[in-house]
Amino acid sequence: MTLAVEVAGKTDVGCVRSNNEDNFGYDSRCGIFVVCDGMGGQAAGEVASKIAVDVLLGYFRERGKSGEYRQVGESLEGLSPDAKALASAIQLANQTIYETGLKQESRSGMGSTIVAALIRGNALSIGNVGDSRIYLIRQDSIQQLTQDHSLVMEQVRRGYITREQAERSEIQNIILRALGSEEKVDADVEDLLVLPGDTLVLSSDGLTRHVRDEEILKIVASSANLQQGCAALIQTAKDQGGDDNITCLLLRVVERPWYKNIFSRWFSGGSQWQNSI
Amino acid sequence: MAKLYLKFEQAVLKEITLTQGALTIGRLPDNSLQIDNLAVSGHHAKVYWDQDHYAVEDLGSLNGTYVNSQRIGKAALKDGDQVLIGKHLVQFKDEGLKTGPSQPAQKAGPATPVLESTVVLDTKQAQEMIAAKNVPAPAGNPLGIGKAAAVVPAKERIGILSILQGRTDQRQYVLTGKMTMIGKSDMASIRLKGFFAPKTAALISKRETKYFISSSEKKVTLKINGEEVTGQRELNEGDMIEVASLKAAFSYQD
Repeated sequence: MTLAVEVAGKTDVGCVRSNNEDNFGYDSRCGIFVVCDGMGGQAAGEVASKIAVDVLLGYFRERGKSGEYRQVGESLEGLSPDAKALASAIQLANQTIYETGLKQESRSGMGSTIVAALIRGNALSIGNVGDSRIYLIRQDSIQQLTQDHSLVMEQVRRGYITREQAERSEIQNIILRALGSEEKVDADVEDLLVLPGDTLVLSSDGLTRHVRDEEILKIVASSANLQQGCAALIQTAKDQGGDDNITCLLLRVVERPWYKNIFSRWFSGGSQWQNSI
Repeated sequence: MAKLYLKFEQAVLKEITLTQGALTIGRLPDNSLQIDNLAVSGHHAKVYWDQDHYAVEDLGSLNGTYVNSQRIGKAALKDGDQVLIGKHLVQFKDEGLKTGPSQPAQKAGPATPVLESTVVLDTKQAQEMIAAKNVPAPAGNPLGIGKAAAVVPAKERIGILSILQGRTDQRQYVLTGKMTMIGKSDMASIRLKGFFAPKTAALISKRETKYFISSSEKKVTLKINGEEVTGQRELNEGDMIEVASLKAAFSYQD
């Protein structure tokens, strides 16, 4: 038996905005899954989040071909090669957005959050910059794997305000780290493990500001499949206000006999990859 | 009218008007005043009306309740008393007597509506806010980013797995990581030896201060205290884990 990943993703402009600055993409062939939430006026946010998704997918496709990875930025100690590659890819995305911003004045100050998951068998590496999130749903529990780099969550961690106050705060929109805002970015990268049956939720804050953790768990558990799960999550966020763009990407780790894996790679089994939108 | 002001450093986080009923203070959400900080016990203290005055009583908290720097079991409250709970200060004000303290600056400064698009503070700005305590926070929120190490969380409980039987690379494992795999595979930090050992036998995951174990392969049986476990289970002090010829005991570090 080998492990495979089923995936479904969806993004929605939300109820208030006219443009969608979120983006997402994945390539199951190299196990990379990304959600980004852009920021910056005059359509720059859309550009930033698209660059981030494209760079990540491109990086791992190239790595898949050559078998080697390009080291970008400082090498991080104590991480697996996969996690180091993920950290490098995030640095590369940061550089690309930063340099694009410098070259085009109309796009200066653009940025993006990123959450990315790299899955190889049981090994999961996650990367995060900003306030998008990754959750792990294992059996009947949900756990947020990433830490938000937002001002309110920093205040919660330091004990100045409670989690409930943070959820009502008016300054939830201030984040402390983003891709493209500085020459280098300090990304959180971590090595974790997944088991068959685990579901990962990658989402922008448009979902998590309106739908609480337990609700996410309930919706995902009661959905017939991942596509329906995505649709139900987005609909719930919209029903509860949904003022921001909403994106979610659901991944499920499944056990399959090896021949079925090959079969689904060549025939049906849904799409293996999706580029940025 | 009597009021409580929950403060951290200089910032007022909350204002509560006291009634005749009891008000409980603690870390858990079922308290009337929740302080979500590890230095605060689940049910830390209560404030209540005792015949003709307000009183505060410690509910057997770990770090104690202090009134004006004196550790107390129970004490009467008078105007201006400072009650220390963990790292937070609760100030008691009897507003019948004097003008209240300066109001928390809830609405000072330009209020930022939630709809406002995301803003990022660059490292310099963030550090300036951390360095300069007096810089008004955006939207006048009680930001209070003061000293970085201002909050010392109560000691985190770390789990330990002691191997009683079976071939592994160590006799004892301190479970500091978010996830610890037991098995023969390279990813396993609790490495099983032997030709027939399963690649992945079980996974221990740490969530905040709790630990959970799940079996990771269908054909591998996982037993806790002799009972077969399918799915996920919380680990408790003294639990005996049996999986793939391995016997181990779970405990918390002192």
